[in-house]
Amino acid sequence: MAKYILKRVGLALLTLFIIIFVLFVLVRIMPGNPFPSERMSADQIANKRAEMGLDDPILVQFGRYFVNLLHGDFGKGTSLYYGAPINTVLSTCISNSFRIGGLAILEGAAVGLLLGITAALNKGRFLDSFCTVFSILGVCVPGYVFLIFLQYFFSYRIPFFPYFFDPNRFMFSAILPSLSLSLFTMSTVARFTRNEMVEVMDSDYVRLAESKGMTGSLLVRRHILRNALIPIVTVLGPLIVDLLTGALVVEKIYGINGIGKLMVDAIAGEGVDYNYVLALGILYSALYIGIMLVVDILYGVIDPRIRVASSGEGD
Amino acid sequence: MSVTRRSFLSAAGASSAALFLAACGGSGSGDANGAGGTEAAPSAGSSIGVMLYTNVMSLDTDLATDGDSFEVIADCIDGLTQMDKDGAAVPALAEKIEASDDGMTYTFTLRDAKWSNGDPVTANDFVFAWRRICKNAGEYAYMMDEIANIKGAAAIVSGDEKDETTLAVTAKDDKTLVVELEVPVPFFESLMYFPTFYPINEAFYTSLDDGTYGTSPETFLSCGAFKLDSYTPGTASLSVVKNPDYWDADSVVLQGINYQVVGSSDNALTAFKSNSLDVVMISGNQVASAEEDADLKDKLEVTGAGYMWYLTFSQTKKNAEGGMLANEKLRLAISNAIDREALVDNYVMDGSIATYTAVPPQFATNANTGEDFSADQEQFSDFIGYDVARAQEFYEQAKKDLGKDTFTFTMIYGNNEGDEVAKVAQAIKEQVEGNLAGVTLNLQPMTKAERLDKMQNDNYDVALTRWGPDYADPMTYLGMWITNNSNNYGFWSDEEYDKLIADCTTGAYVSDYDARWSAMLDAETLVMEQAVIAPLYTKANANLINPAVQGIEFHPVALNRVYKRTSVA
Repeated sequence: MAKYILKRVGLALLTLFIIIFVLFVLVRIMPGNPFPSERMSADQIANKRAEMGLDDPILVQFGRYFVNLLHGDFGKGTSLYYGAPINTVLSTCISNSFRIGGLAILEGAAVGLLLGITAALNKGRFLDSFCTVFSILGVCVPGYVFLIFLQYFFSYRIPFFPYFFDPNRFMFSAILPSLSLSLFTMSTVARFTRNEMVEVMDSDYVRLAESKGMTGSLLVRRHILRNALIPIVTVLGPLIVDLLTGALVVEKIYGINGIGKLMVDAIAGEGVDYNYVLALGILYSALYIGIMLVVDILYGVIDPRIRVASSGEGD
Repeated sequence: MSVTRRSFLSAAGASSAALFLAACGGSGSGDANGAGGTEAAPSAGSSIGVMLYTNVMSLDTDLATDGDSFEVIADCIDGLTQMDKDGAAVPALAEKIEASDDGMTYTFTLRDAKWSNGDPVTANDFVFAWRRICKNAGEYAYMMDEIANIKGAAAIVSGDEKDETTLAVTAKDDKTLVVELEVPVPFFESLMYFPTFYPINEAFYTSLDDGTYGTSPETFLSCGAFKLDSYTPGTASLSVVKNPDYWDADSVVLQGINYQVVGSSDNALTAFKSNSLDVVMISGNQVASAEEDADLKDKLEVTGAGYMWYLTFSQTKKNAEGGMLANEKLRLAISNAIDREALVDNYVMDGSIATYTAVPPQFATNANTGEDFSADQEQFSDFIGYDVARAQEFYEQAKKDLGKDTFTFTMIYGNNEGDEVAKVAQAIKEQVEGNLAGVTLNLQPMTKAERLDKMQNDNYDVALTRWGPDYADPMTYLGMWITNNSNNYGFWSDEEYDKLIADCTTGAYVSDYDARWSAMLDAETLVMEQAVIAPLYTKANANLINPAVQGIEFHPVALNRVYKRTSVA
């Protein structure tokens, strides 16, 4: 198992390095101006570029950036929140997006699992149809539409929740956006859980276990749910990254300073902010790679055959 | 297959427990974002909720470039002067202002005022802040050299002079600030209310880590009507509270302002209706419905936003089919083919006004006569206006001059500069193509940054662009069209124009107010006669204001909203 994990971690780090390099080069060659000034002279802009080291050869720039990155320093923005270190801005945005996204994942996964299990255990009955309709609706209706609906009823008609996100009352004001964001995850997890469980419930080994007298929660936990979990974990990985990296429209509507909104500001704000685009690109990639790594390792935990097969290949 | 209800609940129990635990755990760290804490929050009855259109980019006067940032800075820091309700400069941190007879030296005597850490505001705070702005040479450094003409500023801003102490701004003592100018600047006192000229406490600034000034209430000092209560860079909500140590605290009634960035005008309207915000801006297409809504129509207030939208034409051979737009008649034809009234009535719809002068109305007033520089919107009616017959006449002359019957140009515009811009661009295309047979105007939307990049690199034919006045003088517009100015995007050049502007800024007319005023009108006439630009409309903001909130002062220049004399009934 240790060898399996080590190999996966090594591959993940190498992938991340390649992504950082490619991102760095892409950001440098993309159109747009890091100093979109209407008032600075050409000399002033040239001086600013020189100060930021933007005139150095790209490999020199990359080397400098990578060394700073290893020290955990993303630098400063070129046109967004100018003076503030990116780490300061990013930490607030990450904190908001991760906490709201994290809540959404928990809500989505927990309720999704409940719905999926309910549907599977009541296959063909009313509850099954109800869960299926709910899942389809949840996948079709974007989270922000649900948020507008919630905001209208629970902040405007019945002014119970705050109309905008209030960082000083985090939990209270995180309820509406996290619920809206969780809808897609909830539906996806419910659909996958139901389908996988129905399939597993019809399999030979479950029938065998039943014929040997195994029933109830032990059967569901040990044989049905465990085998049904692998595809669910696979689908949950990218969903987690999506939720953690913020949902632009939900953040915009509810006034949350999260990383989804930050990314759009960095690209389509007053100017293209090289350093923010890079920092967020690296963050997204690292998260994605990290989550996929966890998913890979979880496969090994859930199904030892995957671990063995993978180790065998490695040898 | 038999699974009991109990087994199902058991299998699902873990997930529910996880959700509950997460919810409980989350609340423990719920205040991690709270930059300043809310213990000192103002009572709800006397503070107001105000919409911001964009995030506050910086509270550092050296780095801030947008109106929303300037507004919050001005809440918290006073200048040597401030704006009165009519926009005139009145002494603020300066108790007494003396100009030398030649208008080249200003001596400001400071009043007793304190920073929010208890330090006195001194003349050195201005010296430090202004030197820093010149040395860092950012977006608004041009206010120091090109506009205020402070002696020594130009060399420092350009980078030729590395020693910023050569800036001719000196603290004679703690209370006396002396500023020397290269030439007399008739509107110098009104520049002092612009945030670029505000002070920074040097000892406080140097005690902070690099890059942290103005990033939280702990790293920012106030000496204005309000002090910062909560803020982090990038936040969508921030607040200021009344500053009890403000030198004029008795005049300040409002207990605080809670700012909220609202991304869409639909959301702004609902937030206003739900009483979550007291002051919001709505879009043009919401104005008509607000006017018909019995509950909203009395709360609607249209205020001047100051900036003017106009078309600029590239006149170089590189663009517009080999420089076709260098032909004055063709530019005049296009300008006369546009129905500006239709643009503001049908597409912008927020109270913006059709504009027929190169300097927009409402912001520059003659100090002697009180007359608006651009009050007469018909003074150039021989060259601009919606007159299809005249447009076609100009067009025929242009076709003859250029030996061509058809023209295809591309018009660039920003897709992140307001809801109405794309509609206006489409309307202009339809009007120009409909009135001038043979002209094709293709549209190319892009971000504002890309638009600027293309304009600055002379890589466009026609651009829909805008300019907001930085100071209350026509020169904030007229200065743009001199040869080689970085905002002269058409690369137009006219010796007579250059001389007139030079005379008004550094030459013969700088000490003669009336002659300067008249020369500026002559310069504007040249711009209009040759259709260097095609002015379109002067933007307004449609605000909804809670009737209980009284006394917000709106200005089209420098600071759009001032709350010092605001009260809540």
